[in-house]
Amino acid sequence: MERSERVEQFKADIAEMGVKDPAAARDRMLLRGSVVLLVAGPVLGIIAYTMSHGTENPLQQRDAIIVALIGLSLAVGGGALFVRYALASFMRFWLARLCWEQQAQTDRVVNALESRGASVDARSSQTVTAP
Amino acid sequence: MSEPSLSPNGSVPTEPAVPLLELRDIWAAYDSINVLRGVDLVVPEGSVVAVLGPNGAGKTTTLRVAAGLHPCAAGDVLVAGHRVNGARPDELARRGLCLIPEGRGIFPNLTVRENLWMMSHCRRSLKEIEATAFERFPRLKERQTQTAGTLSGGEQQMLAMARGLATEPALLILDELSMGLAPIIVEDLYRLVASVAAEGVSILVVEQFARIVMDVADVAAVMIQGKVVQVGPPKELEETLSQAYLGG
Repeated sequence: MERSERVEQFKADIAEMGVKDPAAARDRMLLRGSVVLLVAGPVLGIIAYTMSHGTENPLQQRDAIIVALIGLSLAVGGGALFVRYALASFMRFWLARLCWEQQAQTDRVVNALESRGASVDARSSQTVTAP
Repeated sequence: MSEPSLSPNGSVPTEPAVPLLELRDIWAAYDSINVLRGVDLVVPEGSVVAVLGPNGAGKTTTLRVAAGLHPCAAGDVLVAGHRVNGARPDELARRGLCLIPEGRGIFPNLTVRENLWMMSHCRRSLKEIEATAFERFPRLKERQTQTAGTLSGGEQQMLAMARGLATEPALLILDELSMGLAPIIVEDLYRLVASVAAEGVSILVVEQFARIVMDVADVAAVMIQGKVVQVGPPKELEETLSQAYLGG
């Protein structure tokens, strides 16, 4: 295969890959899912209330209790997911900042040691040249 | 549709060529220790780019990020203009991005031929692979039934390169080709790298021993403490390099 053809094929293959950022996409999807669950929980609760309020049949009222419990579970689960994925981005930022500060601190220490080494060298050369 | 405007000399201006590999502001870490701190590097199509620098500068990590073997904490890896952050390394390799790692990455318990057979997954027949490999490296033909672990360091490196070139790479990434080899063998290997580059393969090479790659590279980048501090023609970087290595 000609070299230029090979390069063109390579470019086409890479373009076909269509790589997305899988982690970010999943995080975003789960965050949105958690919001949906958070909304769905109370909605189910309200539906359960209207169900139980509109009937005197104890069987239907028990059904309403079950629907309300499902709504509560969804709301709790959604809340947990929301906290997890809303915090994740903040935690990532916090970690990046920590890394940066650690690196900056290392740079300061290295600079301090270098300048200290340079001053010691200068002093020792003065001592040698002194009569 | 509007006519394309002409440049002052009357020719139609061409789009700037998209580099085959581009690293933009790459940050990468091992656990909480940052190794790369905003690396920018460009490998134009058909060129040889050498990354030079002392031990611990982040050269190998840069290559690993480029090949998809190490995730970057921030920044973009662009191959042929497409962002490939998060792409699986085997996917990139199958498409033509070939990394020959430090330590050669051959199967020591397999023979030379069997090592070459392992590359027959990539669109080429075994015969073709062997023909190309043995033409480039006649020494390997003599050793084809020998287990790779018993080859000399230079021969192992030849085998690693033969395996890499069997994939017909569009972009070849070489990590410390000279590691543990005699200077005369290294010269031979770099002569081969020059011939591969002359065929139009883009090459990104990391080398601790800078002098060796100076003649082969079109562009050199000096890395110190996880950053590219200077990029330019190799001859112009000698002073920066001596400062990098000697701390002067």
